[in-house]
Formats: sequence, structure tokens, C-alpha cells
Amino acid sequence: MPNDRLNEADYVRPVRRLVLAVLVIVLGALFLLWRIDSPRVERFRMAFVDTVVPSMDWAMAPITQATRMIDDFRSYARIYEQNQELRRELQQMRAWREAALQLEQRNAQLLDLAQVRLDPRLTHVTGVVMADAGSPYRKSVLINVGERDGIVDGWAVMDGLGLAGRIAGVGQRSSRVILLTDTNSRVPVMLQPSGQRALISGDNSPLPLLEFVEEAEDVRPGDRVVSASDGGVFPPGLLVGEVVLGTDRRLRVQPAADYGRLDFLRVLRSRPAERIEHSGSLLRPLSLDGTPVTPTRDPEGGDDPAPATPGAADE
Amino acid sequence: MNEALRLDTLAFLALYLCIAAAIVFLRLLPIDMSGNGLPWPDILLCLTMAWLLRRPAHLPAPVIGLVFLVEDLVTLRPPGLWALLVLAGSEFLRRRQSVVREINLALEWAMVAGVMIAMTLANRLVLAIVMAPQAPLDLSLLKLAFTVAIYPVVVLVLHFVLRVRKPATGEVDELGRKL
Repeated sequence: MPNDRLNEADYVRPVRRLVLAVLVIVLGALFLLWRIDSPRVERFRMAFVDTVVPSMDWAMAPITQATRMIDDFRSYARIYEQNQELRRELQQMRAWREAALQLEQRNAQLLDLAQVRLDPRLTHVTGVVMADAGSPYRKSVLINVGERDGIVDGWAVMDGLGLAGRIAGVGQRSSRVILLTDTNSRVPVMLQPSGQRALISGDNSPLPLLEFVEEAEDVRPGDRVVSASDGGVFPPGLLVGEVVLGTDRRLRVQPAADYGRLDFLRVLRSRPAERIEHSGSLLRPLSLDGTPVTPTRDPEGGDDPAPATPGAADE
Repeated sequence: MNEALRLDTLAFLALYLCIAAAIVFLRLLPIDMSGNGLPWPDILLCLTMAWLLRRPAHLPAPVIGLVFLVEDLVTLRPPGLWALLVLAGSEFLRRRQSVVREINLALEWAMVAGVMIAMTLANRLVLAIVMAPQAPLDLSLLKLAFTVAIYPVVVLVLHFVLRVRKPATGEVDELGRKL
């Protein structure tokens, strides 16, 4: 083979051959070593990769960023399609909304036809607030309905939205309402959704305190507060307000009733809850005509109670 | 002046190393370069061969061996074997550099293709002899075909972008000797 590099120094070719031979031997030996003792060489390989690859972290950041940008760009390209799709969906939603409105009207008509009263016991008398008879220490108002209109002490008073207070003092033509914020006001309530019972006690501040909560961890600001029928004072389920956390880190209630503008108040006629006076009595078998059989003692049979017979039951 | 030209050779060597590092790095990235399951052509091999046939002085044999050994290690191939074969193929081409200088691209392409085929066959043969696991035959043949196919592209890039060209008549190297 013709070699043009005749002008290179004499020692260059042997050195080059030597280096080449060493390289070939080293590489071949490495391969054979890998074949013979694979785990050791693989460990070396993993150590090598470990030292080289983590330094590539910085290089991955722009690449992932670029990939994300490409994805974003693709989504931009699809924006027209998405817009069309959303328009179609909006059209369908409009149709559903129309259907819902029609159904609502129909439902109202049917309710009217059937003359449904949701809770027949909750009728109310509406009165106008005559005077805000409160003072810094008494939170109460006077309304223009009284004994003449059948108002009874203790009835619940609501404004349009929620419970405002209760009747405390009835005159002939007027009555006094003490509000939930009054220091004398104690109203049993139930917290939803945790279902715990508590007591709202006014302390002359706009936000009455929530007391006697058993597990305060389950109560969160924003929970609904409705009245409870404990004590038989209030009808259950009237909206009272929602739980807030006061600046003193105590649980308080933001009343749903708007105390700033008390004009018309509804007094709910509530009947006193039925009381169960008797304790349970012994369940006895019935005679043929339906009266309970009174057990009697057999005159001859010592202490053994006689089997209840219809004849022996008359006494 | 000699110093500057010497630096020129070193700069080209550094450029080669940078490109090799970039190619290996791209292989390591967790993006799927192979697309739909097709093997990716061995650009590093093409680059080495083409560069070697143009400026053998830029790529000493230890550098080639080291680069391919690193690639072996990083891409989980049997370490050493492919580097050894690339070294043998590159030395074979280096000896024929004076011949390749005279012939056109088509013949050079055929020659390089022959060397690559021989290297692939030797690789499979040795792996079969030592009973080491190896890639499926169809995939490695496909990879070989892609690699051979991309060789002219690499040559064009080297010629026009990196300006690594066959030495013209009368050109001298950094020590003032005739190439």
C-alpha cells in the first residue's frame, strides 16, 4: 500500500502500533471480563453511569420546558375545535335550562292544584316593628301584634330569612321580641352537617356565641345552624345562620336575619310539643274484647300466678 | 503559526467530542427518538467514519476507542466489543485514507458500507460465540441499513457545515508537512 506520510518521524509508526495494540487488548479484555464476571463489570458500568448521568439534570430542564411548550402550542392549535365544541355544549345546556324552567313552572302549578301545605302547623302572624326598644344592654324590638292576635309567650320570630328571636312579653296590642343577640337569649340549635347540638347565647355583640359544642373539631366556619326543638320552645329546622370564627378564636353564629333592617317580623304559631308524662307500663296480654288482662292470684295455688283466663280477668 | 494550527487540530478534536457527547446525551434522554419502534441510525458511527476519511489527524485511535467505550457503557451494550470493532474498522479505513482521497463519494460510500456490514457481522458472530444475548436480527439489520443510508447526509453536513473536507492537493498540516 502506498503511504504518503513518508516524512513522519521514524519512531511514530511503532508507537502508534503499540498504542493500538494496547487499546485492542484492553477493549478485548474488558469484553471477556464482562462475559466471565458480568456482575462486577455491570457494577462498574452502573457506577460510571451514576457519576455521569446526574450531572445531566440541568440539561433536562430546558428540554422538558420545550416539550411542554410544544404541548401548549398543540393545544393552541386545537383552540378553534375546542371553541366549537364548547358552543355545541352550551347550546345543549340552553335546551336543558329551558326544560328545567318549564318543569319548575309545571311543578308550581301542580303544587297549587293539589293545595299542598308544606307544614300545616307553621302558620304565622306578620307584625310591623313599632319601636326598637333596645338599649346597649337589651336587644329587643316591639311589634304591633299582641294578645289580641293570639300571640303567646315564647313563640319564634323570624324575618324573611332566618330566626330573629322569640316573643318575651305580650301586651294587648303589642309584644316584645328579644333578639338572639340579647344576653338573655339562649336558643338550642343543631349544626349541619355535623349534626351536633349546641346553644346560642347572646352576649350583646352582633355575633352570638355558640356554646356547649361537644366536638368543636367537627365544626367549621360556614356550617349551617338550624334551630332544634330541644326544650320544646322552637319548631325544628328553622334557619338561624352560619358558624363563623370570631376574632377571639371562639365559635360564633352569624345570624341569617338582617338585624340592621328589621321591618316586618313573622311570629310563628307553634303548638307546645306533646309531653310524655307516663313511664312505660307492663305489656299485658289482651282479652277477647281488647282490654288488658289483669293478672290475679290463684286462691289455691300458693304463690304461682294463675294462667290468665278470660273468666278470671273480670274483677 | 505552527502553534495556531496545532490549536486548530485540537479545536476540531474538541468539536468531535462535543458532537459525540451530544449524540450520546440525546440517546439517553427520556424522549422516544425511535418513533414507531424503528431503530435509530448510528449517527456517531457515520460521523466518525466520514471524519476519519477526511482528516485522520483529527481523530487519534485512543479517542475513538474511548468515545465508543463510553457509548457502550452508557447504552448498556456489552462493554468493549463494539468499541473494539469500531477501532478495527476505523484503523482499516485510516490505512486506506490515501485511496479514499482519490475516489468519489459513491465508491467511498460503498467502502464504508462494506466496513459497517463487516463490523455488524463480526459483532453478532462474537456475541453468538460467547453466547451473550443480542438484539433481534431484523432490528440490527434495519439499523445497519439506516446507518448506511444516512452516511451521505453526514458527509454533506461535515463538508458544508463543519467544513471538514478532504485535503486539497498541496495542502499542508500544522507542522508544514504535505498531507
